[in-house]
Amino acid sequence: MNVELLTLSEVEEFSGNEGNFSVRIKKNPRYVDMDKCIACGLCMQKCPRKVDDEFNMGVGKRKAAYIKYGQSVPLKYAIDAEHCIYLTRGKCRACEKFCPTGAINFEDREKHLSIDVGAVILAPGFHPFDPSGFDFYGYGRITDVVTSLEYERMLSASGPCMGHLIRPSDHTEPKKIAWLQCVGSRSTNRCKNGYCSSVCCMYAIKQAVVTAEHLNEGIPQQTIFFMDIRSHGKDFERYYETAAAKGIRFVRARPHTILAGKNNMGVTMQYTAEDGRMHCEDFDLAVLSIGLEAPEDGPVLAAKFGIELNSYGFAQTTDFEPVRSTRPGIFVTGAFQAPKDIPQAVTEASTAACEAARALMPARGALTHEKTYPAEQDVTSQEPVIGVFVCSCGINIASVVDVDAVAQYARTLPHVGFVENNLFTCSADTQSLIAEKIREHHLNRVVIAACTPRTHEPLFQDTLREAGLNGFLVEMANIRNHNAWVHQALPEAATQKAKDQVRMAVARVAQNDPLRQLKVDVVQKALVIGGGVAGMNAALALADQGFDCVLLEKSDRLGGNARRLAATDRGQKVAPMLTRLIERTESHARIKVLKKAVLRSAVGSVGNFVSKIEVDGDTRAVTYGTAVVATGAAEYQPREYLYGQDERIMTHLQFDDQLAQNEAAVGRARSSVFIQCVGSREPQRPYCSRLCCTHSVKNALRLKTLNPEMNVYILYRDIRTYGEREDLYKSARDLGVIFIRYGLDSQPVVSRKGDDLFVEVFDPVAQLPLKLYADYLVLAAAVVPHDHQALVELFKCGVNADGFLNEAHPKLRPVDMSVDGLFVAGLCHYPKPMDESIAQARAAASRAGLILAKEEMQLDAIKSYVTENCDGCALCVDVCPYRAIKLEQEKIDGRSHIVTDPALCKGCGLCAATCPKEGVYVHGFTLPQLKAQVEALLAEATA
Amino acid sequence: MIEIRVGKLARMLGVHRNTVSNWIKSGKFSARPTVGRRYLIERADFIHFCRNQGISEDITAQFANSGGFAKPRAHAAYPVARDTDRHTEKGGGMTDGPIGSVMVVGGGIAGMQATLDLADSGYKVFLVEKSAGIGGAMAQLDKTFPTNDCAM
Repeated sequence: MNVELLTLSEVEEFSGNEGNFSVRIKKNPRYVDMDKCIACGLCMQKCPRKVDDEFNMGVGKRKAAYIKYGQSVPLKYAIDAEHCIYLTRGKCRACEKFCPTGAINFEDREKHLSIDVGAVILAPGFHPFDPSGFDFYGYGRITDVVTSLEYERMLSASGPCMGHLIRPSDHTEPKKIAWLQCVGSRSTNRCKNGYCSSVCCMYAIKQAVVTAEHLNEGIPQQTIFFMDIRSHGKDFERYYETAAAKGIRFVRARPHTILAGKNNMGVTMQYTAEDGRMHCEDFDLAVLSIGLEAPEDGPVLAAKFGIELNSYGFAQTTDFEPVRSTRPGIFVTGAFQAPKDIPQAVTEASTAACEAARALMPARGALTHEKTYPAEQDVTSQEPVIGVFVCSCGINIASVVDVDAVAQYARTLPHVGFVENNLFTCSADTQSLIAEKIREHHLNRVVIAACTPRTHEPLFQDTLREAGLNGFLVEMANIRNHNAWVHQALPEAATQKAKDQVRMAVARVAQNDPLRQLKVDVVQKALVIGGGVAGMNAALALADQGFDCVLLEKSDRLGGNARRLAATDRGQKVAPMLTRLIERTESHARIKVLKKAVLRSAVGSVGNFVSKIEVDGDTRAVTYGTAVVATGAAEYQPREYLYGQDERIMTHLQFDDQLAQNEAAVGRARSSVFIQCVGSREPQRPYCSRLCCTHSVKNALRLKTLNPEMNVYILYRDIRTYGEREDLYKSARDLGVIFIRYGLDSQPVVSRKGDDLFVEVFDPVAQLPLKLYADYLVLAAAVVPHDHQALVELFKCGVNADGFLNEAHPKLRPVDMSVDGLFVAGLCHYPKPMDESIAQARAAASRAGLILAKEEMQLDAIKSYVTENCDGCALCVDVCPYRAIKLEQEKIDGRSHIVTDPALCKGCGLCAATCPKEGVYVHGFTLPQLKAQVEALLAEATA
Repeated sequence: MIEIRVGKLARMLGVHRNTVSNWIKSGKFSARPTVGRRYLIERADFIHFCRNQGISEDITAQFANSGGFAKPRAHAAYPVARDTDRHTEKGGGMTDGPIGSVMVVGGGIAGMQATLDLADSGYKVFLVEKSAGIGGAMAQLDKTFPTNDCAM
């Protein structure tokens, strides 16, 4: 409610300074009154004008009266003035005639409004590369060549093919599909995009995997033609390996020509494999993995806002200020800052929010309002009157489950007072409809038969509250994830199951009682664990937002791994920045730095934690509302390649030290060899350490600059200089750095002969074994996580299979941890370069700030509570993993009993399951509720 | 409880909408804000207020009995920018401090996340999107890596 959404709008004029900008916005006419439109879609049905649908990348058609997509926000139709017959030729108005609410308004005119804002965040996104200019790929000429974004729509259940994969030429299902990587990325020949788009490898693998699932044949026939597979993100390498294991074929080649197949159906692909042999292969369909370009209107935007762009048209930023534009008060984020994947975009969006909040700290809360709800009606004494809303979820549910039959059936169930089927029950207008029906039919319980409560329950709870009901009087029956999605082949049985699910939910909701959400006071203070670059950035970002924080560092000095780094990926010197960062951190009035400090205990929960911290032998208690974990990581100590047996063999960081202390000596070397993936992407550590390729390339460049005569070799598996780091890779090749690829089955061999050091490797391009002399051998050692065992035990947080701390959700909550109130940043989350660490730390500060900004916060209402049956046997005390249950010493009526601490309780229900006499229940999951549900399941279906 | 909208009430009473806003701000008219720029006021308070203002009993009764504008709403109320208004309130009433609002340009995943973070931590956000709906490129995706989650 503190957001004003201005659609069809653009910025016309912009002036002012940080803290006080004036903006003039042009709001284009929608020709549909948003207050009246009920998104029934009649206007679209009646509209006679068909145009290419840009949302479906032109694969399908839409009308001139349209809605972007089914779940669009706002869910309001619009009329496309460019194509509308009335607006272009003066006749028609069919939509106006049929609109049941009179929402069509052809008198609508452009509006102008002025707003004053303190800061601006630019997130205009990217422009998908248009491969029409590449005549050798035949895009636009050959029917069965599509772009990856078109293919994405073809795969999508809500896309033009309704989720049934068909190729454009003859509308049959393509079996054998090829992906071509780096179309419009890593290419300076026919386009000017020298950078890597960072996401195409992963999305191509994903599309191949999803396609294989769609086609569901024994052996997948999907092939990906690539130069380097760049699966450098968290859990990406595993995804790549799983795909390969499933049979997705990966071919290292850049096909030079695509020809049309017979009768212009399918394609013939010509390519040269790594061994130099020419191949000609037929495919049913070719997908061009198009890159991400800077937005088309980027230069206009930049001129309007007075910010600078880099040579590729992305916003100019620095490694130390990753989302700050060249003009104070204007922040840039998302793919406009650099091509990036969703987790990174979401993280950096929070970073931008943090920067804006820092800049406007004195004005926080000045222009915002709290949401208020109407008074809740008391339903405890009423008979249940249940409303059932059955969702079609577009076709997600309706294509398998007969939703009408389910709705019909629901009408026959006891206490049901109203039933309706909706296309998208989660859409904004259906929320109003539900609220309306609650009032109209005096409903006091609601069942939503749709998708998962995990994502949608809060939405429906809110709807109930707006209608004056307690939010916990809603139950969801998951007839999508638990049903339609998994029983696609059995529509009849699925419909029967949906009926069972609805019957269970109805039986259960009738037993639901209103629950109160617990409020706790928030200690408006943060704890930051780890005094490296990430930790200090998080602490400063919090302190600048006006929150006190305590920074914990286990060693006797701040700085962490950054103390050993020379320059960032863009060549900015680390040492001066680090000195300033440490000075600011230590002198900030709101930051208390504790060195040689170890976290000893942690009790409490979000908003109110208490920890014992041991500082140089003394123990003290610290209370805090949230914590940012930024404990860093370490460099792997190699056991391979004779490491430790020869002082010329070094890891990355050791070589950096060497360069810092003794640059001249290093420069005199005749030959240096780098070996990549030492300890990474191997069976015992199957993840990519993300930063080593760039690090080696950077050092190779430095060596070539020091001594152009030096032979510099980089032995690699895939070069992963993602994003604009690709420029470094290109410069290195231009300067004569020699890159030799090796495979996991043909690893280099290091040997010593006399005083000389040699590396033997097989060159797959020359098809020859090579023996390289090395004055220095640099091992790109993996980034390995610290042992998080203690932290995991204290906070009950999670680590992934590689030992890095887990986020709550990789895309939706990439810096939140699974434990409420904890946030993660830096290397302890996953290996990453410094700019990303800084961005993530500030994003964590933004997310932590959301909690600290409020004096009190609401907790979940699903908590355990003691019933009168408790006799204090204390069986539950031991099983509670959160130590939320204590045995009360004082007896009531001569009986001992337990007490539960709702702030600690997570509602897991172990106590209720353990208790032999129903002495403890969990709200929302009481025995009567579960019993009703189970009995409903076992009851004979009557319809 | 009567639900009112400032504009409609102003028209009904024959005063300027700013007058109504001022009444609410000064506490003269004891309404509290609810969703979608609507306000809620107790029936008794409303009648009492109208009497003090010398507003004709007819209008008062008509208004009070209709339950204000709490008519069935066919849509969630999206806050719509008032084209006539200029949002010039400075943060905390200060004249030289920064303004407590932010403009986010672009309603894709990044723009939306930034908007939500700021709106939840005490800043007013204007989200400017050039197309007819927010969601951006992510909404076009079928599934997302590496978890194969539905992009929606």
